[in-house]
Amino acid sequence: MSDIGAKKRLSIAAKAGLFLLAGFVFIAIFADFLAPYDHTSQSRSLPNAPISAISFSDENGSFSLIPRVFEPKMTDALRQSYTHDPSRSAKVELFAKGYGYHLFGIIPLDRHLLGTDSDEIGLHLLGTDALGRDRLSRLLIAIRFSLIVCTIGAAFASLVGIALGLVGGYAGKIVDTVISGVADAVISLPSMIVILAARVAFPLELPPMTAALLLVGLFTFTGWAEMTRLTRGLVKRTRTLDYITAARISGVSSGRILVRHILPNIARPLLTQATLILPAFLLAEATLSFLGVGVQEPEPSLGNMLAAANDLTQLREHAFVLLSPAIVIALFVLAVRLTNTGLSSNEDREIT
Amino acid sequence: MLHFFIRKIVQGILLLLITSAAAFFLLSSAGSDAFTSLRENPQVSAAAIEKLRASYGLDRPVIERYGSWLASAARADLGDSFYYQVPVAQLVLSRFWSTAILAFAAVGIACLIAVSLSFLNARFRSRTLSAFTDGIILVFASTPRIVISLFALAILVYGAITSVFWLSAISLSVPLVALLLAQFNQSLNDAMREDFVRTARAKGLSETAIILRHAFRAAINPALTLFGLSLGALLGGSVIVETVIGRPGIGSLTVIAVRNRDIPLLMGVMIIVSLAVWAGNTLAEVLQFVNDKRLKAQEGE
Repeated sequence: MSDIGAKKRLSIAAKAGLFLLAGFVFIAIFADFLAPYDHTSQSRSLPNAPISAISFSDENGSFSLIPRVFEPKMTDALRQSYTHDPSRSAKVELFAKGYGYHLFGIIPLDRHLLGTDSDEIGLHLLGTDALGRDRLSRLLIAIRFSLIVCTIGAAFASLVGIALGLVGGYAGKIVDTVISGVADAVISLPSMIVILAARVAFPLELPPMTAALLLVGLFTFTGWAEMTRLTRGLVKRTRTLDYITAARISGVSSGRILVRHILPNIARPLLTQATLILPAFLLAEATLSFLGVGVQEPEPSLGNMLAAANDLTQLREHAFVLLSPAIVIALFVLAVRLTNTGLSSNEDREIT
Repeated sequence: MLHFFIRKIVQGILLLLITSAAAFFLLSSAGSDAFTSLRENPQVSAAAIEKLRASYGLDRPVIERYGSWLASAARADLGDSFYYQVPVAQLVLSRFWSTAILAFAAVGIACLIAVSLSFLNARFRSRTLSAFTDGIILVFASTPRIVISLFALAILVYGAITSVFWLSAISLSVPLVALLLAQFNQSLNDAMREDFVRTARAKGLSETAIILRHAFRAAINPALTLFGLSLGALLGGSVIVETVIGRPGIGSLTVIAVRNRDIPLLMGVMIIVSLAVWAGNTLAEVLQFVNDKRLKAQEGE
């Protein structure tokens, strides 16, 4: 009886996970539209500004549905502390005009979800960073960047892993021994240390796009092994089944048997494993960029934004905004896990 | 038993050879070393750099260098670190112990939570408690170490807890808690449905005694396998925890070696990490062997 309760709870978990994931995908697609400001534009007069003060009242102090933001005023340049000036404010606008970008990479647009009616007073929902760049805009672009890099990395690692697992599991003998031996070695070693060691083989300072490509390569370098082990085990179990023997006797080639007869039957657990690689890569990207050997400024990534939180005096003043990329990372991992446990429990139900 | 140890030792040597060779060739083929940044310095002539490289033996072919590295590694001499200018073996070992103690504490924390919660679940079979356990597993599994160690840093800054060691240990243990708890809870739950538990109940043993004396023993083996496997993950996790919290150890040493392109030091790190992973897996297998009489019987056949 409690099992039914558990399944119901899990399916709610799956819904919550999918909802969160959909949110991430939405952010990745509409990052430019959602970002109020250009993530590279700096404002040196407003470094480390706090979250904009917002008030639901008009100039006369009576209630208004249209919120206003106040201009932050620096009170102490050394400690970078701010108050706001109640006399200088701007109206918050929906679909405000801002920097130009291309939606889906093709449609030229210059409207953004939120903005202000003034060029001087900005809406900084997560404050600004040390160079006065809008932190929310950077966070949104970073989510897009990290998601793209990690999805490509996970796809590559899965493809390489599945291919090697298929070959090893089906060929057997010496090929299998070598592949599974290396895979076991790679799995047993801590991937973070292996990635860091391999990272040294390349220049430490790289332009963002090269760094992203390198990260995909490094993720593939360590990520294939788990997939290979899983695929190999599944192939070994499947290849002795009658329908495979039947296919072999009727003269179907090995390659065709692997791709047409074995792969579709083991696709589901492989897909589950592939989704589990995704958060692992997101974390690896964040860790490397955090350590300064991944994606570097000016391109924002979740990791290099987090590096600002490693400053003790800053962390004391602005803990929440500095840790916001960490919260995003935790939410993403949570979303994938919720979806995964939810969906795999549905699978169990189908079988029983 | 002897057979087992011979097999494990051969496996260990193979692992060391594979990782050291892979790391050595990858790092040597990089085309850059600790002196690369010197080339941009106009005051250092190319000849001086070549002389420096030659004094460290960097001008010889890769295979020759790997051969001599291997020969001295066999005598426990891993060369000198470029950055620290001290013997690598000594440096790596001392930092490794510091991390090993941390990892030990992390495993202790994880075991304490996993065992006590699983015991309570098996003893009282409360639905609320089971939901609470599921929640803990989910939250702990999805809180990455980078997040938790930054929060630990924030706690340190605000001065709520001041012990760097225990904060690092807690940060390091977080995903392990979820893994161990999920595994042990499940296998204890399975064990409680076995025939020997029914027999023990029929004998009139108290529920607590049944769990502690009979079910625990049956449930512990899968958790031991997991323990052996998670050792590598703990060492990998120490990279971020130690760097963020600023505690010297093998993880923070790796980061320093990477930032300074200290290749002998990185080789040393790879060797000690491979050794530790191998030792952890062997230890887990030995413990399983001691715990499970059936495995002993298999060996006897």
